[in-house]
Amino acid sequence: MPGIAAAAVAAPSALSGGADVIAVGVLLAEFGMFRQALLRDQVRLYAAQSALISVLAVVVAATRHLPDLYALAALSFALKAVIVPVVLRRLLRGIGAIGGDPRWSDIAGSHALSVASAVLVAIAVAAFGFFTVAALGIRSPVLPATALSVSVAVILVAFVLMIVRRDVVSQAIGFLSLENGVSLTALVVAAGLPLILEVAFLFDLLVAVVVFGLLIRVHHGRAESMSTADLTSLRG
Amino acid sequence: MQRRGPPETSTTVSPALPIPIVQLLQVVTIAAAAPGVSGVISRVEARLQGRAGPRVLQPYYDLAKLFRKEALAPDGSSWVFLAAPLGAMTCYLTVPLLIPVLTTFGLPLGYMGDILGGGFILSLASFLVAVAALETGSPYAQLGASRAKTFGAITEPVVLFVVFTVALVTGTDLPYALAATVRSSAGQIIRPAHLLAAAALFMVILYETARIPVETHSGTNEFGMIEEARPFEHSGPYFALLKWGSAMKQLILFTILLNVFVAPWGLASTPGLVPVLLAIAALVGKAALLGVVIAVIDNSFAKLRLFKITEFAAGAFLLAVLGVFTLYLGGG
Repeated sequence: MPGIAAAAVAAPSALSGGADVIAVGVLLAEFGMFRQALLRDQVRLYAAQSALISVLAVVVAATRHLPDLYALAALSFALKAVIVPVVLRRLLRGIGAIGGDPRWSDIAGSHALSVASAVLVAIAVAAFGFFTVAALGIRSPVLPATALSVSVAVILVAFVLMIVRRDVVSQAIGFLSLENGVSLTALVVAAGLPLILEVAFLFDLLVAVVVFGLLIRVHHGRAESMSTADLTSLRG
Repeated sequence: MQRRGPPETSTTVSPALPIPIVQLLQVVTIAAAAPGVSGVISRVEARLQGRAGPRVLQPYYDLAKLFRKEALAPDGSSWVFLAAPLGAMTCYLTVPLLIPVLTTFGLPLGYMGDILGGGFILSLASFLVAVAALETGSPYAQLGASRAKTFGAITEPVVLFVVFTVALVTGTDLPYALAATVRSSAGQIIRPAHLLAAAALFMVILYETARIPVETHSGTNEFGMIEEARPFEHSGPYFALLKWGSAMKQLILFTILLNVFVAPWGLASTPGLVPVLLAIAALVGKAALLGVVIAVIDNSFAKLRLFKITEFAAGAFLLAVLGVFTLYLGGG
């Protein structure tokens, strides 16, 4: 089959391949949050995902000689992989505790679909993201081959996470990881973005954490549960 | 493209083996080493649990004992019941001809079938065992057979997508070609498509070899049994063939993962005696290492509930599909 052999997809360079692998790791972490049943594990996965994005920022900084990205990587690691998870856990302490153990919160079984079907739906939505970006035909020597498609897929899967899970915490995590998808896109498309803008986005995130924390506490105070099913009665 | 024969070897130090002998050695290596690899896994698993565990050679003693015992067939079962173990064993003896077990160059019969061809033969073996299990009328064996076929149907798409990834990476679906591609550069190893396909294949192998997230392998009777329940009614030499066959299937799948995807190094590039012997040692060593990894997984995770196995399969499917996406829509 020598004729077909010519159609083989050439390997990307090792660095671009590495960046792609990290981007795919971010997407897999998103899928992990999607199916995770425990609040604690979801927050942990969010921290891991944020750490992966900081690693990618370091890789991009090294390959494209952008020193201020190192500062961004350090700041984003400190904020998203350490502070936000800690603040989230602090905010959620004692909420939804089962049997007095604050680690077990009632977000298990908040799937509107079964886990396997939800994953299939998310795969379909991610496929839509991949096809859309491929249809745009963006090619650039500095752009890792698949990272842009992957980042769009991360954003879309974060949306599906917020739609499919019916508990306040998953929706907060979905929103926060959506921001991770956006910063992944920013890293691969516009790595030279001024530092001040990126930092502004990061601090926006902190506001979002406080707002979501407040929402979760107020909702839990009123409804004695994490489920958003109770909110449907608010319909006019 | 692959060369269709061994390269010219004028500088080999060791005497060259005839090609048919090398080809035969592929089958013999798999058949002879398979029970040993199972023995290593159960030994390591026992040590990790703080037990002394069986000898590494225990599976060989088990097989020898079973071959000496008499064979019984349940009332009302037809010739299919007794023919199935022989048919399955034939399938498992055929597949090592198609995959790179010992050599980097394709052996003459290696081009009889591609990855899909090997997959078909493995499925045929599993089908024969399932038919024999249905033949018995025993509820346990039938339960195992029907479950194996049900979950087989949902892991099959994963295998297909892994094959698509291979086809997109190499432009062909011969296992030798992918192994050569992986050896060619570091870029081929850390591209996401390759890693995703290898991970998906590993998850399928955990399912196919009846390892822990899916099934306990210890041979105790319980309701969660799938693969292990099928040979319940077989006895004597026929049971020995089934046990040996499933050990061979395990080593065949390990070989595909190791010599095609993860670590295609240490294979003989010439048909010389020394390189081939080294390749045998390398394969056994790599399979034992993989066995240790699997034993650690066995001890680190709980068995999934039967209805959660679809989630496991969905996870493997996710990896395989993402592999194809990153390749097809981005060149990853």
